[in-house]
Amino acid sequence: MFEEASEVLENMLKWSFPLSLVLFLVLVCPLRAEAAHEFSVYRMQQYDLQGQTYGSRNAILNTEARTVDAEVLSRRCVMVRLADFSYEKYQKALRQSAGAVVIILPQNMSTMPQDIVQQFMELEPELLATETIVPVYFALEDEELLSIYTQTQISSSSQGSSSAAEVLLHTATANGFQMVTSGAQSKAVSDWAITSLEGRLTGAGGEDLPTIVLVAHYDSFGVAPWLSYGADSNGSGVAVLLELARLFSRLYSYKRTHAGYNLLFFLSGGGKFNYQGTKRWLEDNLDHTDSSLLQDNVAFVLCLDTLGNSDNLHLHVSKPPKEGSPQHALLRELETVAAHQHPDLKFSMVHKKINLADDTLAWEHERFGIRRLPAFTLSHLESHRSPARHSIMDMRSVSSLEGAGEATAGPHVDLTKLSRNTKVIAEALARVIYNLTEKGVGGDLQIFTEQMQVQEDQLASLVDWLTAQPRAAQLLDKDSSIVNTLEYYLSRYLKDVKRHLVRADKRDPEFVFYDQLKQTMNAYRVKPAIFDLLLAVCIASYLGVLYLAVQNFGLLYGFLRRVTAPRVKQH
Amino acid sequence: MTLFHFGNCFSLAYFPYFITYKCSGLSEYNAFWRCVQAGATYLFVQLCKMLFLATFFPTWEGGAGVYDFVGEFMKATVDLADLLGLHLVMSRNAGKGEYKIMVAAMGWATAELIMSRCIPLWVGARGIEFDWKYIQMSFDSNISLVHYIAMAAVVWMFTRYDLPKSFRLPVTILLGLCVYKGFLMELFVHVFLLGSWTALLVKAVLTGAISLCSLFLFVTLVHSN
Repeated sequence: MFEEASEVLENMLKWSFPLSLVLFLVLVCPLRAEAAHEFSVYRMQQYDLQGQTYGSRNAILNTEARTVDAEVLSRRCVMVRLADFSYEKYQKALRQSAGAVVIILPQNMSTMPQDIVQQFMELEPELLATETIVPVYFALEDEELLSIYTQTQISSSSQGSSSAAEVLLHTATANGFQMVTSGAQSKAVSDWAITSLEGRLTGAGGEDLPTIVLVAHYDSFGVAPWLSYGADSNGSGVAVLLELARLFSRLYSYKRTHAGYNLLFFLSGGGKFNYQGTKRWLEDNLDHTDSSLLQDNVAFVLCLDTLGNSDNLHLHVSKPPKEGSPQHALLRELETVAAHQHPDLKFSMVHKKINLADDTLAWEHERFGIRRLPAFTLSHLESHRSPARHSIMDMRSVSSLEGAGEATAGPHVDLTKLSRNTKVIAEALARVIYNLTEKGVGGDLQIFTEQMQVQEDQLASLVDWLTAQPRAAQLLDKDSSIVNTLEYYLSRYLKDVKRHLVRADKRDPEFVFYDQLKQTMNAYRVKPAIFDLLLAVCIASYLGVLYLAVQNFGLLYGFLRRVTAPRVKQH
Repeated sequence: MTLFHFGNCFSLAYFPYFITYKCSGLSEYNAFWRCVQAGATYLFVQLCKMLFLATFFPTWEGGAGVYDFVGEFMKATVDLADLLGLHLVMSRNAGKGEYKIMVAAMGWATAELIMSRCIPLWVGARGIEFDWKYIQMSFDSNISLVHYIAMAAVVWMFTRYDLPKSFRLPVTILLGLCVYKGFLMELFVHVFLLGSWTALLVKAVLTGAISLCSLFLFVTLVHSN
């Protein structure tokens, strides 16, 4: 048969050269198989700050999935659900040199109990502090992912138990999953520009007016950049600043209420990375320009950081204000307003010296303090180390809109408290710039009422917009929609709205960001190698049986012939 | 190990054809080239069918889950062209009935195997993802081999001038079953919501029944003279 086959094939090949070319192309083309499931995964932070590296160094992964209770974890992708996550398990996975870790978060975080959320929030900085080459990903759970997880769990946990025959059968027939990411290895993003925005309201009455600076950083931070929505920290601060801009620009538009103070509003970027935006802005304004509002006569700088919740309000200072200074005036006014108008609010001053030996500065006012500008930060948090400032759990939950009494798990924004805080700050500032206490106006007088009211709807829509997308500094370049929208908003109420860009120094960068933060992961169903061998054995035996059947086909033929023969004889 | 899996599927699909070719004695008759001609006829017939279907049958615009019985029935009727093709192949081959049937069936089935199963197996079975459907596809090709042998036998019997009157009806029924087997299978799957392995089993049973009946009739016909 082969001789005639070769003759025929030779004839065919002569005119089938184009066909073979097509065939060659088909054979060589890369394979893209359909996956059992495809889902988005978000990588853990990876950045360098002031030369020190943080976070997960690696992005690619192509390993088999296991759950954390399996015995062999090395070079496997360890899948953990948030409810089962603990630091010990994470350490165990890293010690056994796992191939990757995937943490599955629920779609709706409010279904998680409080203590798990708290525990995770406390773990986030620790996860980032241990620099690791294992890629760590976060995925949002859906039905298929959950089924993949349960199947993996069943096969992982049964590895140690039953008899040898059962184990053999099980390993031969089990359904494994291979996790593959589609992206490339992570590398440093060159020439990333952090944008900050400033705008001003000029005071009435000539030159040399004192300036009040209001600052809030607009970026957010969490263990995964794509999941950092930063509702309270610092979406609330940005919302307060924008609302103050609107209120005071309204006041300044009437001649009678045009005060003798310049108001400078600054939305800084890179705030969570040691206030890079503020640092460079100060350098540019104080060192490199001849005249700037910051150089002449600064009354004080008020930084707004995390004001969306709770009945506490703390004014963080690095040096207690001296009597008679504008700083002290603001402190006094805040106390007055809180005491007279909002007795449920507990206001206090917190004094913390600037510690230059620390890796990062505590609050934003310390940047100004280093440059000898009087500054403080207003926040409802007591300590800068509070986990609420850098958590992915800080997102605006839907239930708070209904105003029900249910406690949402993580940090979130409570609109009534946010608007109350905004009002307190606005009243206190107004009392300072109009000098109301010296004029004898009582603490009960409320300026911001009726037409000048703090609009809670405005705050709500601002917070909603801010938390609709992640605002990590690595994701907001100068063309991003958030920066553009903030610029537009500021330019509606303020004059001289300018952008300020920060790029890392080439030789000794203060910050380095890395890419590949969001990937698509494919989960492929795979069978173990023994299964293929088993299948081959089965197929071989089937073919053997078939061969025998075909060889003995004559028997069937003869049988049928014998069955039909008597009928013929009857005719 | 996925190339291995491809090898498994490939051997499951192709080896029965190889075995049948060797053991049916066709190799002694230098039938290879004739099988290739039969395969070429298969290609031509499929091309004509596709052109006909594309031109005259509009796309079904009904709901997603509704099965268009009438439309699919009409499409299955076009498969009568298969019978004509087989008849054409067999009439061009001189020789005994068995020889004609086997040559036509082998060539036809092999051409169908290469055209419709090769590329899915190559692309799919080689990938990382495992799916039982490739093994099922290979089994299906075995079933098709038996089916085409039976179909060729029935066509041959239908065109015999010395076919007794009493055989006309059974042969016509079998012919109809052969053509509409695909349609019937889809019907079963939709109505009874069969799983893939069950559908394969039903298909095997149906093909087995058809082939047994046609073999019975063939034996009766050949040995009654």
